[in-house]
Amino acid sequence: MSRFILRRFFYMLITFWMIVTVTFVLMHNLPGDPFANSEKLSTQQRALLSKQYGLDRPILVQYEEYLLHIGQGDLGVSFAYPTRKVTDIIKESFPASAELGAESIIFSVLVGLILGITAALKHNKSWDYTAMFIAIVGVSIPSFVLGPILQYWVGVKWGILPAALWDGPANRILPALTLSFMTIAITARMMRTSMLDVLNADYIKTARSKGLSQFAIILRHTLRNAILPIVTVLGPITVNVITGTLVVEQIFAIPGLGKYFVQAVYSNDYTLIMGLTIFYSLLLIVVMFLTDIAYGFIDPRIRLAKGRN
Amino acid sequence: MKNILEVKDLKVSFHTYAGEVQAVRGVSFELRKGEVLAIVGESGCGKSVTSQTIMRLIPSPPSIIKAGSIIFDETIDLVQLSLKEMESIRGSEIGMIFQDPMTSLNPTMTIGKQITEGLVKHQGLTQEKAQKQAIELLLLVGISRPETRIKQYPHEFSGGMRQRVMIAISLACRPKLLIADEPTTALDVTIQAQIIDLLKDLQDKIGSSIIIITHNLGVVADIAQRVAVMYAGKIVEQGTVDDIFYSAQHPYTWGLLHSILRLDDEEKSELVPIEGMPPDLLDPPLGCAFAARCPHALNICLKEDPQTQIIQDEHSMACWLMDKRVKVKIC
Amino acid sequence: MPEITDDLFAPAPKQDQQQKITRPSITYWQDAWRRLKKNKFAMAGFYFLIAITLMAIIGPYLQKSGYELQHLAARNEMPNGAYWFGTDEFGRDLWVRLWWGTRISLFIGIMAALMDLCIGVLYGGVSAYYGGKIDDIMQRFIEVVYSIPYLLITVLLIVMMGAGIWTIIFAYGITGWISMARLVRGQVLSLKEQEYVLAATSLGASSWRIITKHLIPNALSFIIIQITFTIPQAIFTEAFLSFLGLGVKVPLASLGMLLSDGVGSMRVYPWRLLFPALVFSLMMVSFNLLGDGLRDALDPKFRK
Repeated sequence: MSRFILRRFFYMLITFWMIVTVTFVLMHNLPGDPFANSEKLSTQQRALLSKQYGLDRPILVQYEEYLLHIGQGDLGVSFAYPTRKVTDIIKESFPASAELGAESIIFSVLVGLILGITAALKHNKSWDYTAMFIAIVGVSIPSFVLGPILQYWVGVKWGILPAALWDGPANRILPALTLSFMTIAITARMMRTSMLDVLNADYIKTARSKGLSQFAIILRHTLRNAILPIVTVLGPITVNVITGTLVVEQIFAIPGLGKYFVQAVYSNDYTLIMGLTIFYSLLLIVVMFLTDIAYGFIDPRIRLAKGRN
Repeated sequence: MKNILEVKDLKVSFHTYAGEVQAVRGVSFELRKGEVLAIVGESGCGKSVTSQTIMRLIPSPPSIIKAGSIIFDETIDLVQLSLKEMESIRGSEIGMIFQDPMTSLNPTMTIGKQITEGLVKHQGLTQEKAQKQAIELLLLVGISRPETRIKQYPHEFSGGMRQRVMIAISLACRPKLLIADEPTTALDVTIQAQIIDLLKDLQDKIGSSIIIITHNLGVVADIAQRVAVMYAGKIVEQGTVDDIFYSAQHPYTWGLLHSILRLDDEEKSELVPIEGMPPDLLDPPLGCAFAARCPHALNICLKEDPQTQIIQDEHSMACWLMDKRVKVKIC
Repeated sequence: MPEITDDLFAPAPKQDQQQKITRPSITYWQDAWRRLKKNKFAMAGFYFLIAITLMAIIGPYLQKSGYELQHLAARNEMPNGAYWFGTDEFGRDLWVRLWWGTRISLFIGIMAALMDLCIGVLYGGVSAYYGGKIDDIMQRFIEVVYSIPYLLITVLLIVMMGAGIWTIIFAYGITGWISMARLVRGQVLSLKEQEYVLAATSLGASSWRIITKHLIPNALSFIIIQITFTIPQAIFTEAFLSFLGLGVKVPLASLGMLLSDGVGSMRVYPWRLLFPALVFSLMMVSFNLLGDGLRDALDPKFRK
């Protein structure tokens, strides 16, 4: 098991290094001066940047320095807000994003699991069709369309819930809901397929032949085995939710990291985009790493196989 | 002698997108206390459906029991029981072993837990007591170091060992009846004999009656007292092991016997396969289902289904060749 | 019951009765098609997709306007006889733009599918077929690329390289083919163990023949299923990029861009959001229904 974790950890480092390198290459190998493309930059800013990135020095020296900076957790200074370091922006605005993301993941995975389980247990009945309809609609409407619609109708027209900002618990509901649709859909579909697979497995027949009640069979034999594959998609789901926060925070004016990212894209704030990309990538890679490990712990087959190696 | 099981005119169908498949078309047999009955036939003949119907394990829909009764222990008609009532019989009164030990055990639950589950449910034992019983059961089925094995997961066992665990699970509550659905088919030949020996040994110790479903006649001769031969959802011939092996009367049984190797055969006779395919049970033929493949088919075989007749004591079969009006002599 | 006469007990003439009792044999694909036809939802999705594709091809020509033409006298029109779906704030005909946008979005989806086929199938197939060291190295590479957050890299790439259809497609090509490669590898690995492939190998069939005649056709159903999920995913990605202002270049339209514009003017001109949203969602729902139906029809695990 520890060898398995070590190997995964090593891959994680390689992936991160690749991403960092790609960002570096994109910065330096584009035709001309990457900063010259932007008319929004003043000469003063450009000078500042050139100095900061040492664009006049040999490329390998720059690369080394760049890696060193990142290794020390230094992501540079924002273009648009020259007085602010990227890491400060992250520190200040990440908590809101993290909270929104976590709320959405917990809510949507729970709802998705319940929908998927119901659909599988009522296979080919109206419950099944309803659940799957919700699931398909969930992956058919982009959150940047759903969000404004919810915001306008529920928030503005009916005035039931706050339409924007991040003041109290009620402010969380609409953004989290918008963010959750896709995840609910993915989880529900996956859980349904997985449940149906398990329900048809031979060992369920064995459990029934022991005289266990339907309830006990589902609780003890079906759910645990059916949820296993869901753990493997928790990584991709988190990726989805985090990219989702970019959109949702912009729509609902939530002072999170995603809003900064979108605004950085709108205003061509290269350093901020790069810094945030590196930060998000690191976050996602760590999440993927953790879900991999978690899966190894939950499934005895993997746990033991890895342990023996 | 008391009958532990009496199956009368059982008919089971499946509804598929293509129509109604008549998997079991009027099967009747009895099983006495302490007896071993083998049901043989090629794949798709309805033998597994019959056995799983006794356990009421086939989900409905798509399956329906169209007619018949399954009287267990002379009093209970299993066909009439509610699913809840059936739960108290499964595992405690009737145990079952399945074909593929590799997939029949829950991969994420320890062996111990899987054995004790039934004990806790049916006998109300505490987890500790059930655990002790489970250890004894594992010893009984020939698994060494049961104290450590009990904490392991199925993938740490070989195929033969897993089948032993399955047997331990099915016998945990000392059921009156054990149904073994092709218990050796998925195993290596050397392991097959061990499992059959184990079943024989356990039958002596526990005294359960056993129905063994198989397509392997070798297994039959080894363990069973009586044999029922199934073809296309019906029992075509039934009798003691001697009846079937030495004075079989049905052409299909002859075919089965010719298609196995026999070590005691002096004449080095050739293996003769049965030509053709079993009929499609979506649309069973009008007369005898075997007529199309039968080398001795009569005109009437294509028009009328033969009735089951008693030949002698326990030996019965369904074939027109037994009719007095048949002029040609066969054999 | 007919009377039983003695002559019925004469041996029956030998006839070829076996032919009569077996079902007519049908090929795998005929059987799959028959299954698919039974699935009403999947067929509805299939017909909707055909209809949408047809409209993407002929729709723009049903109106005289081009997608970029600005009718300055007819800005912000409601849907009417002259402009079926109204006009936007530059007086561009939204009917024409909608179907042009659909065309662009479908094009992006199809290009993504081609990437899947070219890179993903080849990568997965080669990795599994040759196995051993090659497979090992190729899999390590995939494991690394798999955890790259693809959307973020895409955004970064487009910010740096400039927006446009080809940038989007190029960005998709970097990581989008991974799941296809994994799927094909898994399939080929399990197929390789099958007896008929071993038989073909021992009969001296060449690698090329085994790959093209045995492995690809048998993995084909899985590839098709995967593609029905790749296309909507790529279209979705394009929509997301459009929201960030990184979609296709104006005045070209894509569904994502129309949606994004529609959201902006939703409160005053709701139809500007309604029509693209309807087409977009219908397309997504259809792809998903068809994909699910295909999986039920083609995947042996789901066949009864």
